[in-house]
Amino acid sequence: MSVIAPKFRLGYLIKGLTDNIFWIIVILTLVGLPVVQIVLIYIDFPIIDGEIWNPFRVLDAMTHPERALPLVKSFMQTDFFKVAAFPGFGFAALIAAATIFVERKLLAKLQLRVGPFYCGKVEGILQLMADGLKLISKEIIIPAKADKPLFWAAPVLFAATAGAFVALIPVAPGWVVADIDLGLLAVFAVIGFFPIITIVSAWSANSKFPFIGGIRALYQMVSFEIPLILSLLGIVMLTGTLNLVEIVESQASFPWIIFMPIGAIVFFICILAELERIPFDLPEAESEIVAGWLTEFSGMMYGLVQLGSYLKLYAFAALFVVLFLGGWNGPWFYPMEPIAEVITDGVVLMPGALTLEIEGGLLFSQEMINGLIWFVLKTVGVILVILIPRGVFPRIRIDLLLQIGWYKLIMLAFVNIFIALALVYSGIIGPGGIL
Amino acid sequence: MVDSLFLGIAVLTIVSAIAALEMRSLVYGGIALMGTLGGIAGFFILLDSPFVALFQIAVYVGSIAVLILFTIMLVKRELIFQKKEDTKRRYAGIGLMLIVMISLGAIVFNSGISSITTEEPAVDYREIGEDFLIYYWPALVAMALVLAGSVTGAMILARRHDEVEDEQRTD
Repeated sequence: MSVIAPKFRLGYLIKGLTDNIFWIIVILTLVGLPVVQIVLIYIDFPIIDGEIWNPFRVLDAMTHPERALPLVKSFMQTDFFKVAAFPGFGFAALIAAATIFVERKLLAKLQLRVGPFYCGKVEGILQLMADGLKLISKEIIIPAKADKPLFWAAPVLFAATAGAFVALIPVAPGWVVADIDLGLLAVFAVIGFFPIITIVSAWSANSKFPFIGGIRALYQMVSFEIPLILSLLGIVMLTGTLNLVEIVESQASFPWIIFMPIGAIVFFICILAELERIPFDLPEAESEIVAGWLTEFSGMMYGLVQLGSYLKLYAFAALFVVLFLGGWNGPWFYPMEPIAEVITDGVVLMPGALTLEIEGGLLFSQEMINGLIWFVLKTVGVILVILIPRGVFPRIRIDLLLQIGWYKLIMLAFVNIFIALALVYSGIIGPGGIL
Repeated sequence: MVDSLFLGIAVLTIVSAIAALEMRSLVYGGIALMGTLGGIAGFFILLDSPFVALFQIAVYVGSIAVLILFTIMLVKRELIFQKKEDTKRRYAGIGLMLIVMISLGAIVFNSGISSITTEEPAVDYREIGEDFLIYYWPALVAMALVLAGSVTGAMILARRHDEVEDEQRTD
């Protein structure tokens, strides 16, 4: 008899399993199938070969890969897919989750600890899933005298604003959720919401530590937003555009960090401060004010704030890549054209039985895959550089922080602007320049 | 679509403006003010000038509203907020507002602005920049001087006074 479950009996286990299967079947039949049918009514089906596709034909087509692939391709061009899955939320959340795990492991190695170890046999790889389950199943406790509407709204708003930020990032050629003409300005507008959400959530908790943390966060974010915006103006002058996609395309031959290293450094320090990461983690200084403005959050509310802050981390790192490191530009290492046999013979899925002949190649174009690999490599590199200071630096004092923000970084940002101006007026680069 | 959007944004703007004035809780009033400013940004987007709209969000919602919230939270409520109800004043305020709105509305409706139709595309922000450099350059220079002066002033204010700092330093 095991110690963990002293009253274990195989019969009870089988009964429980069959019970669960019974209820799953009942709920799927009575609820799931009607829901699927109702959803299918409201979907606009494409017209292929002059015939409207109904659900039955879609299901029929799904059974054969050659007919299913065009459908999948057309689905991947829809807004829903872009927002929910690939360049949008799903992709960013995946990178954010990987970042959390890598951060814990990396920090542990830096401090000669083991880090997450037991969950999932191999180096604690499932620790994140366990943490997520724990957060979801925990009770959400709200302080008795908290301002409830604002307290509830703050985590949701935080995650939503981070999601809006993610939506502006171009990931690969043609793969961006919101390709607007004023992308960089939209980034500034979105960044401006974070201090408001922070201070409102800190105030609504009606507790001392969150309020102190919120005030600190407000000081820090507002003072570092100005050099952050100023450090990017040089790029706007050189490229003559605010569109992030065009800024990436302008770096086809060289990234802007070559000409504006000062701007890149200022922007990177501002990223660290905006993300509240060590050495600028005064708003959640855990050794002084418990957890800063996150103190009163529990359960999935805390989870949402964490999700939002890591989405923000990804978005800022990706913005650094897009603006300074050339985005998806990079040497080709993926085959430039589809392999010749694919064009002539198709892809052999099952030898002798199933061969696919797909118009326009497989799911993604070669250009997109190559660009995506470069983008992800660069973004992961920047994220690692953002993570490493956490194991190296102490927290700095708030007066030093404000002095850096208002005094040194603004000065350096202006130096960067004058470098950009010199480059433009000497006719080296910029609109109509030599390079 | 545009009409319903316009109505929605107008309702949001006006309701949150009234709320910003009438809310008992000052923090909620500040948040309602953010709603008003955001609604105005929505109007700018409807008017095909996203440049102004994004600046409206970045400057007014992102900075001014934050400053107001910050001030509200740092000041004791009793010092700035007295419960003095004065019905006469209230009705006078409502009457004044009605008079102003009716007269403004009359002016706007009689100016023929509703019958203007134009086929010109929205103004590009690049054109604004070119106009600033070519036609309005004195204004640009004046703005640049004011901005440079204010930035220099901010830096002087932010500079640490090291002689004082050294006395207070504990290490």
